[in-house]
Amino acid sequence: MNRLQIAIEHAKLANGLDVVIAPDSTAPVATVGVYYKIGFRLEPQGRSGFAHLFEHMMFQGSANAPKMQHIKLINSSGGLLNGSTHYDVTNYYEAVPSNALERVLWLEADRMRALKVDDENLRNQRDVVKEEVRVNVMNQPYGGFPWLDLPPVAFRNWANAHNFYGDFADLDAADLADVQAFFKTYYVPNNAVLLILGDVKAGEGLALAEKYFGDIPSGAAPPFADPKEPEQKTERRGTVEEKFGTLPAIAIGYTVPERRTTDWCAMALLDQALHGGRAGRVYRDLVLEKQVAVEADGGIDDIFGYNGPTQMVTRILHRGDISADKTVEAFDAVIREVQENGISDEELEQIKVKWRSDYYSTLEGGRGGMPRYGLMHLLACFTLFDKKPELVNTILDGFLAVKREDVQNVAKKYLRAENRAVVFRAPIKSSENTAGEKEAA
Amino acid sequence: MATQTRTQGAVTAVPALGAERPVTWPKRTRARLANGLEVLLAESHAIPKLHGQLSFRSGNAAAIDRGPGLAEMTATVLRTGTKLRISRRIEEDLRSLGADLSSSAGADTSAIAFAGLTEMAEPLLGLVNELARDASFVDGEFERERRLKLEEVKLDRTQPGFLAGERLRKVLFGEHPYAVASPTETQVSAYQRADLLDIYKDFYTPENALLLMVGDFDTATMLKSIEKTFGAWSGKKPKLPDVADKAQPRGRRVYLVHVPGAVQTQILCGCHAITRKHADWIKLGLTNSLYGGAFNSRLVMNIREDKGYTYSPRSGVQALRQHGYFSVSAAVRNDVVAASLTEIFYELDKLRSVPVPDAELADAINYLTGIFSMGLATQDGLLSQLATVAMNELPDDYLETYRERVRALTPTDLLETARKYFDSANMQIVVVGDRAQIEGQAALFGELHVYDAQGNLLS
Repeated sequence: MNRLQIAIEHAKLANGLDVVIAPDSTAPVATVGVYYKIGFRLEPQGRSGFAHLFEHMMFQGSANAPKMQHIKLINSSGGLLNGSTHYDVTNYYEAVPSNALERVLWLEADRMRALKVDDENLRNQRDVVKEEVRVNVMNQPYGGFPWLDLPPVAFRNWANAHNFYGDFADLDAADLADVQAFFKTYYVPNNAVLLILGDVKAGEGLALAEKYFGDIPSGAAPPFADPKEPEQKTERRGTVEEKFGTLPAIAIGYTVPERRTTDWCAMALLDQALHGGRAGRVYRDLVLEKQVAVEADGGIDDIFGYNGPTQMVTRILHRGDISADKTVEAFDAVIREVQENGISDEELEQIKVKWRSDYYSTLEGGRGGMPRYGLMHLLACFTLFDKKPELVNTILDGFLAVKREDVQNVAKKYLRAENRAVVFRAPIKSSENTAGEKEAA
Repeated sequence: MATQTRTQGAVTAVPALGAERPVTWPKRTRARLANGLEVLLAESHAIPKLHGQLSFRSGNAAAIDRGPGLAEMTATVLRTGTKLRISRRIEEDLRSLGADLSSSAGADTSAIAFAGLTEMAEPLLGLVNELARDASFVDGEFERERRLKLEEVKLDRTQPGFLAGERLRKVLFGEHPYAVASPTETQVSAYQRADLLDIYKDFYTPENALLLMVGDFDTATMLKSIEKTFGAWSGKKPKLPDVADKAQPRGRRVYLVHVPGAVQTQILCGCHAITRKHADWIKLGLTNSLYGGAFNSRLVMNIREDKGYTYSPRSGVQALRQHGYFSVSAAVRNDVVAASLTEIFYELDKLRSVPVPDAELADAINYLTGIFSMGLATQDGLLSQLATVAMNELPDDYLETYRERVRALTPTDLLETARKYFDSANMQIVVVGDRAQIEGQAALFGELHVYDAQGNLLS
């Protein structure tokens, strides 16, 4: 077996900033990321959507780089940039020709040191974010399904259960004082990791990190609310209206074991047995064989990138002439089968090969044209959650050691009604309404 | 390094760019098997995997006389069974090889794309070969995939982005096959298994194919595997059907696709442009990048960062094999549809009227040349760059010379390019949204035609 190993260097600056360097000279391109350990899960109550709105504000200007400069500096250096807000982290990242590396580090340090934004910037980005929510959720068929639909049904702790994109009233209520307070609390070097990947030497990367970030003052350790969920006793169900789509949809989420445990590794492989594309049991059974569903997919999203309660989610679009109950019954039959009979040795071996192959692609894979996003993301999460970026080279071991009985055991232990939530996305118009209409012009 | 001053310890001046490191594109090896199959290989050793595609130079446009979307349907069904393996076996074999595979067809090509562990390259190639030569198109599989396709085409009509793109293609292309973005329900219902078999026999031949692979392999060894696997395959290049000319819409017209209850309006404007083979392609690429092709572009800075009308405005050149078109899109707040269109045209006309300042041009050149090299860093990025060159029959040194060709462009080149291809007077405007909220605004920009989501003309 050909095992991929990533060379990494890890250091902590005096101000508490973690620095991780992963040199690779395949191309004269450097990828830089700064991850802060704060996501939408722990944003302030009464300010739903704020972590994401704040991410937008980080592009609006800092002490020495006013609005428009952030984007302009990176693009005009031949690079790409973006940011994204997750459950437990928020990231800012750039991929540039390696001769622009210092410039990127300067910019990231400048905005870690001092955000400089005004009311006009906030109004502008609040408008932009609302259009983002409309284009991704409110004006799309099945928008927000199921990632915004399931949490309020599945969870009881506000941290896990609220609207992460934000209620518009909460977005409107956010003011500059909120922005500065959030920045001061969470955007401190001792709550962040800097990553430099690609065309850089380890020593050079560490020296540059010290040069640009070394004198940013550290802050108080940020407070973190406990995202723990009270014990669930019964299955939870909810319904959400579907305004545009014509097929009924169902999302079924099971809360997964704590990360980096034996159960978690087994659950990940069970997830592959169920949701591994066209070979997965859910698609094969519901779409290919029983043909009750038109689409059926799912899984544990971003399995290495969360640090609190999360779910393995199955997403089903089913035929209009088959009831939701019948569809859930068909799904339950798939679950029962794996609980009663487990999976075969052959199936487990196949899944392990695929898992390893997918893991390499995750490490190599880019995002929005930016190479090494995946490696950056894993290194960052392993540093912030586990203080061990080197897990990137060993985390596979736990998955490859899973045994047949482990898979069957987690199926019995976690795929229970009292550990799941079900959301029905019900169309207000049925697919049959369009059948009698005229041929398209 | 630029002179730096320190205030409270911070470096306040932007660091200058360091010396540029050379960009070296990997060696490509071309071969042609005796049966006509073209092969293009490049090594890339960052991960122990390979990425490849077997592409055929015929797609939905070449199948238009037999039925819109038939090439896509053929590609969909071919993975569901061969003479040697049933559907379930194919999917499980792929999993055991650590592989992903997809088969699909666009307007101009049909393709089997695959990726997997290099330690199992040979069996993966064997499966690709089987799918290309011995697919069995089992009745039951075909019937199911057709039913799924019917649901998919219905769902498409609930997506604003699809509705906008479909209408623009109809308006720009008229009777030309590129006018068809997707088949209708009636057309899908009429598909016959025999049609798929015909397409399969005609399109999926070695003379019509290019096998492109990038990955952690040794080229000479891989060439031998390819020869061994695909050598016995045979088949001629298909005859391409004659197609009608594209439409030539003159004057601005507005096409409103009415979606009751829409809380936002999808704008899509477009006009004819050029294909990738055209001598002006690189000029148009740079002009587009400056207009709306980058985050830092004029359109994004204007209607997003300054005015907050939209989240994701962008422009691009859609290069199909026979024709290309330029388009601008933005999903905007309902009450700023007219305001957004005004800015879209203002920025187009400005590029047609006023030469781009030197500094802005330099920034745009840096951007385009910089992001061009990012494809080098991943196997699928490299694959996609190589595919673009090969499928468009661009010169062999295209990748190596691209950056210097971009760097040679001047403000005059951009002015001329904008005047030629940002055809603002003949731009066709599609808006998808709630008629009651946007009709008055849309009508300000040209003769208005209103459709419903099914494509029926309402007025």
